Amino acid sequence: MSMPLLHLDQVTIRFGGLTAVGEVDLTIGANELVGLIGPNGAGKTTVFNLITGVYQPTSGAITFNGQTTSQLKPYQLTKLGIARTFQNIRLFASLSVFDNVRAAVQVHRDHGIRNALWRGQAFRDGEAAVEKQVMELLEIFDLGQFRDEEAKSLPYGNQRRLEIVRALATKPKLLLLDEPAAGMNPTEKAELTKLIRFIKDKFQIAVLLVEHDMQVVMGICERIAVLDYGVKIAEGTPTEVRANPKVIEAYLGE
Amino acid sequence: MNSGAKRWLLLAIVVAFVTSCFSASFNRYYLGVAIDVGISTIMAVSLNLINGHTGQFSLGHAGFMAVGGFTAARLTLTLSSSAPPDSAQGIALFVVAMLFGGLTAAITGLAVGLPSLRLRGDYLAIVTLGFGEIIRVVFQTSETFGAATGLTGIPKQTTLFWAMSVAAVTVYVVACLVNSTYGRGFIAVHDDEVAASAMGISPTRYKVTAFVIGAFFAGVAGALYAHHKQVLKPDGFDFMKSIDYVVMVILGGMGRTAGVIIAAVLLTVLPEFLRGFAEYRMIIYSLLIIALMLLRPQGLFAFQKKSQTRS
Repeated sequence: MSMPLLHLDQVTIRFGGLTAVGEVDLTIGANELVGLIGPNGAGKTTVFNLITGVYQPTSGAITFNGQTTSQLKPYQLTKLGIARTFQNIRLFASLSVFDNVRAAVQVHRDHGIRNALWRGQAFRDGEAAVEKQVMELLEIFDLGQFRDEEAKSLPYGNQRRLEIVRALATKPKLLLLDEPAAGMNPTEKAELTKLIRFIKDKFQIAVLLVEHDMQVVMGICERIAVLDYGVKIAEGTPTEVRANPKVIEAYLGE
Repeated sequence: MNSGAKRWLLLAIVVAFVTSCFSASFNRYYLGVAIDVGISTIMAVSLNLINGHTGQFSLGHAGFMAVGGFTAARLTLTLSSSAPPDSAQGIALFVVAMLFGGLTAAITGLAVGLPSLRLRGDYLAIVTLGFGEIIRVVFQTSETFGAATGLTGIPKQTTLFWAMSVAAVTVYVVACLVNSTYGRGFIAVHDDEVAASAMGISPTRYKVTAFVIGAFFAGVAGALYAHHKQVLKPDGFDFMKSIDYVVMVILGGMGRTAGVIIAAVLLTVLPEFLRGFAEYRMIIYSLLIIALMLLRPQGLFAFQKKSQTRS
């Protein structure tokens, strides 16, 4: 593998006396699909929050695309190319489907206040380009027909999809999905699996998937890392992980 | 909207100018109320950018108005001997004073906003409330600004034209800002700060921007107010005055510019109509507000919001 896209080097975070994540190493290559699993409270979401800049590691380093990311805020990391979805859907509730995506497109534009106030040709061209970009994305994910509906009025599955579209609108190199299958029925899960694979191929990006649902993770991930009590206890292909006695003891086995 | 917005702004200013040409024949009392309406509109619409669109809760808008009003009035009072009110210099001085008042208020807004906008909801309300009171006390004790008596003899420069034009500019600026891809960031911050941050939107930056722009227009409104009433007293800018504007924003429907304008007009004119009831006036006024909030908590003029997909 050439230079990894994301590299966690001995990352540790302590909250008071509790070590939530201890000395975790994790590497994700460009266009790789990696799963992060572990029982409840294993520190999966904490790792997520460390990668996206919500928390700063107590020790250890995170590098993204060759750049150290500690001290960067979430919105700065988005600019670098890390996008995420949330475990409990967090759409902009009072904005339309179109505007939810539009707000995210803004990150790579430098059209600011002056443009919006002057409303000249540059503004009109810029807004037309944004509209085209947003509609293309919405059409790819079959959400085009809902463009003017309020985001919160969409059915659950579509809200999940819209959240992914919104994340993709920031043109990420790495997409983090936090339990995307939560609350989905088997049909929706099957669709989601297809969708994640499609995103990876179509946009040529890396995906880190935190998921409870073993079927989803085992089905699509090329590599899986297993966390337990904040420590990485195993890593490998789905088949390897499934056979690992430590994993069976911590997570799969009864 | 596009260039239509600019045409609309131009039209509003022309209408304000033409109306103002006939203002000499208007009843002076109604003319005064009309100017009050313009000033209230500026205050409410600019506060709506902060409290409505961006979802922060500022209780210090009257404080920014005071900063703008006192600094602008100080400027015209100092220089009025060399620029008599009726001359071209006098009008130029007034325009400079308005911008000066807006700028000092905006700078104050930046100074207050940077540290306090990390706070959320109730906490921010308390901080801005405290700030408003500090401003009032500072003017009350400052000899430069006339201490407790305030400033008097401010030249009467605010005409219907100025009040209406600045109101039109305020509406234009707020509407154009919000109805752009850039401006969706304000509403995104309002809806969910964490998600906004994950989408590359800096919540602090947007909040401070809203705060500074809001403060700027409050400052200009203060300058208009000073040159309309001709007397400025620190007492006039207490907490209750901030509440007046907050009520306009809530009544009009948070984040609905058109509703907030109607509410600003209504709540400025209504107390005047109720003057006939003398001592019951404020009771009736308060009861009306309570009734409206019970019947239409989403705001009097908050109709089904049409999604703005084209700008």
